[in-house]
Amino acid sequence: MELMKLEIVTPNGVIFDNEVRQVTLPGSEGEFGVLPKHATLVSLLETGVIEIIKADGKKVAVAINSGYVKVDEEKTTCIVDGAVALSGEGTDLAKALNEAKELLKKAESSSTVIAAAVSKVESIGKTL
Amino acid sequence: MANLKEIKRKIGSVKNTAKTTNAMKLVSSAKLRRTEELAKRSRVYAAKLTELLNEIAQKMQQANVDGLDNVYFKEVSKPKTVDIVFITADKGLCGGFNAQTIKRVSQLISDYKAQDVKVRLRAVGRKGVDYFKFNDIELNNEVIGLSAAPDYAQAAEFINEIADSYVNGETDRIILVHNGYVNMITQEIKQDQLLPIHPSKLELKETSTSEMEVEPDDDDTLLDALVKRYVEYTMYYSLIDSLAAEHSARMQAMDAATNNAKEMVKSLTVQYNKARQEAITTELIEIISGMESMK
Repeated sequence: MELMKLEIVTPNGVIFDNEVRQVTLPGSEGEFGVLPKHATLVSLLETGVIEIIKADGKKVAVAINSGYVKVDEEKTTCIVDGAVALSGEGTDLAKALNEAKELLKKAESSSTVIAAAVSKVESIGKTL
Repeated sequence: MANLKEIKRKIGSVKNTAKTTNAMKLVSSAKLRRTEELAKRSRVYAAKLTELLNEIAQKMQQANVDGLDNVYFKEVSKPKTVDIVFITADKGLCGGFNAQTIKRVSQLISDYKAQDVKVRLRAVGRKGVDYFKFNDIELNNEVIGLSAAPDYAQAAEFINEIADSYVNGETDRIILVHNGYVNMITQEIKQDQLLPIHPSKLELKETSTSEMEVEPDDDDTLLDALVKRYVEYTMYYSLIDSLAAEHSARMQAMDAATNNAKEMVKSLTVQYNKARQEAITTELIEIISGMESMK
């Protein structure tokens, strides 16, 4: 399985920095998936959820309010304003879900985008 | 005798000073640790943002043989107006921290004056504001309280106003001066050109020579958003950096002051003992000579 590097950086520090198989990003022109060896791309990110499939096949989701992404062949860098990670293991999922919803609700986007993002967080919360 | 009392009083007051300066040092070192942590976390973000912007700028430069055409990158060869944004502390008692920044700003002003360039000053921090007001130098903007407690929204509001005047063509260059944190014992004056952005010619990675897709690809939405964010964040980061430097400078200054005070207490104690001994000797001589005269 081919892997690529993914970094998610917020003003409060790096929240994700690891090898991943695949990542799905909420671009401003629509959601798009990135696999290793993707062509170079720079995009604005909308309020939404970044879905990650890690090297071991586990899924992780990160709720974000807005930001930028820079993709090249071996590395994807997300520069976001605010982010809350949602993962199935270890941490208090219910608390993280609430934090994620709070973050999304405060985002400066249209209410439909926020509503879509919140419902997505909820459905992810059930699957994790 | 009056001398003895005088010295004793002095010792007491110097001891009190030492206590105060020591307390200030402890407070600063605690605050420094917190600010340093904040700075460390924001540094990664700032670095990534700059990296991305540089890459886009380089791409644009490659596409445009005559140099960059975008307003944010276009360098004016002969600027008519230059805005200098500088950050000082709100409080003193931190050694040469504020003086260094003020000195650099004054030097910049005289340099630009020599070239017949109009300079507009934008001050953050009470010390800088006070200095230039006292010297009757006009300040276009002044913000007090922001350098002691950096706040993103406030910093963004402050800098956006200045950035707008750049975009409108009122000013040709924005320079940011602050005293930055290097480590616990060193601060360094940092002078950055905020706008127009200098694409650093340092490295052009081989991997990035491929074609770049940009979304949304209509006009300059992405670039505008990115530059705005870059300007805001640079301002915010400079504030944090300056605050960390302020605390480290104050820590040093207060450490030196405490040591000096202790030194002074020592020498005053020696003086006190000498004076006391002298008084005893004088008394003894008086008694003995009195006895001798009775014989």
